[in-house]
Amino acid sequence: MPEPIQPTPIAETGEPQASQLAMPVWLLVLMFLLLYWGMVYFDQHSGWFNTEVYVPYYSLAEVQEFQPPTGGVDLQRGKALFDNVCALCHNPDGMGKPGQAPPFVGSEWVVGPPSRLIRIPLVGLTGPVSVKGQVFTFAASMPPMGASFSNDDLAAVLSYMRQSWGNKAPPVTSDEVKAVRAQIGNRAQPWTPQELMQIPAK
Amino acid sequence: MNHGPVIFLAAFLALTASWFGFVLMPDIQVGGLQQTNMVGVAATYPVERPGLAREGLDVYRANGCASCHSQQVRQSGTVCNVVMTDAGTNRVAVIDVLTQELPDTSRSEIEQMLVGLPKTVLKGSDRPKANRMVRALKSSGAKSSLSIVPVGPDIARGWGKRQTVAEDFLYDDPVMLGSQRIGPDLANVGLREPDARWEYLHLYAPRLEVKGSIMPPFRYLFDERKIGQAPSPDALALPPDLAPPHGYEIVPTRKAQGLVAYLLSLQATAPLFNAPLTVPPSAEPTAQTNAPSKNP
Repeated sequence: MPEPIQPTPIAETGEPQASQLAMPVWLLVLMFLLLYWGMVYFDQHSGWFNTEVYVPYYSLAEVQEFQPPTGGVDLQRGKALFDNVCALCHNPDGMGKPGQAPPFVGSEWVVGPPSRLIRIPLVGLTGPVSVKGQVFTFAASMPPMGASFSNDDLAAVLSYMRQSWGNKAPPVTSDEVKAVRAQIGNRAQPWTPQELMQIPAK
Repeated sequence: MNHGPVIFLAAFLALTASWFGFVLMPDIQVGGLQQTNMVGVAATYPVERPGLAREGLDVYRANGCASCHSQQVRQSGTVCNVVMTDAGTNRVAVIDVLTQELPDTSRSEIEQMLVGLPKTVLKGSDRPKANRMVRALKSSGAKSSLSIVPVGPDIARGWGKRQTVAEDFLYDDPVMLGSQRIGPDLANVGLREPDARWEYLHLYAPRLEVKGSIMPPFRYLFDERKIGQAPSPDALALPPDLAPPHGYEIVPTRKAQGLVAYLLSLQATAPLFNAPLTVPPSAEPTAQTNAPSKNP
């Protein structure tokens, strides 16, 4: 009679224990490389977080590439120059300042013949000036604020004035500015409104 | 083992990171957005919606219009076209330039281009090529202009002229972007259907205006009332099967008027720096007339 097989007791080896194992260095390096690549990808595809860049464009340069041609006169530049130079006296909204400068809004000088308007910033203006039936008298005459502007810049500023705040007059071209500059030559004496009115409208 | 502080720190970092990403960063990016200048036009954009249209935004919101209509036009790219407006007098030179610039076009097709100007002579090109062509045409005595044309499926459907940008929603609170397009996109509905009468009839009985429309009618935005001394000018002109009983008329309530004023004010086509496009020379920029064109 065979002996019944006695199960041999399994030796207890104690509770399994987790031990410390160093993370492989290559995995760390790979993780950081992936992180870096992900951030660069994210930056590139969000236009380097530029708020002016929307999805079909990937960079500011691309947005700039597709700006429509301005057709000679740059009104954006005109506004920037106006706000920096002219607006000190004439106010950014073109309403002028009492005792300093007359308004531009609806002014017949601004929307009137360019040949007269261009002359004013080139050598200045003095004397009582009538705008929209109201006579403005100022202690100081207007200095030649536009004399140092390039033809393009002066055309941009004047065009901006003629097309802003409800003014709707055709833009001034830089060729017109160039022609007027040649006509007035070396004159340094500010214009008076009477003198300007004698200049032919075209 | 006490992991409390670690778990707290991990949860705190996770929540802070998402707060940075979803709240702080967007606020830094567009939180300080202001009116901006239109490109090529001395005007600012956007103009605040008129009061009635502002009320209409609340009606739009209350009626859940945004659950079926989106207000975002997407754009997949931008191309440059060259439009020749005048062939000048030197026909031979112009044909030479066109032959050189358009190598795949046959001679007879090029001669056809000179007939019936203005005509688009270069379509879907990139900027350097279009610039070169404009310069070459200028030197040959012809006049041409370069136009920037946004393209994409939404624009091909006629839902807009350019993509929607953050400025379009500057004065809207809340912004009703919408997420589903069960109905058409409404970002430019004021441009597509500028007629207030059309909008009223469409709200009252959508299928009168759009065949097979699945939009529910919004008849509770209208009043049926007895005709007074004279019929109201606002009364809807309904076909006999929908018309009210004799002596009665259907007039829009204040809510319907607001909603329609809001819909008509939805015109997001101003050329902006971040969404450039060329406005056709004849068309006035639309943002200056942000107000409803026909006030009911």
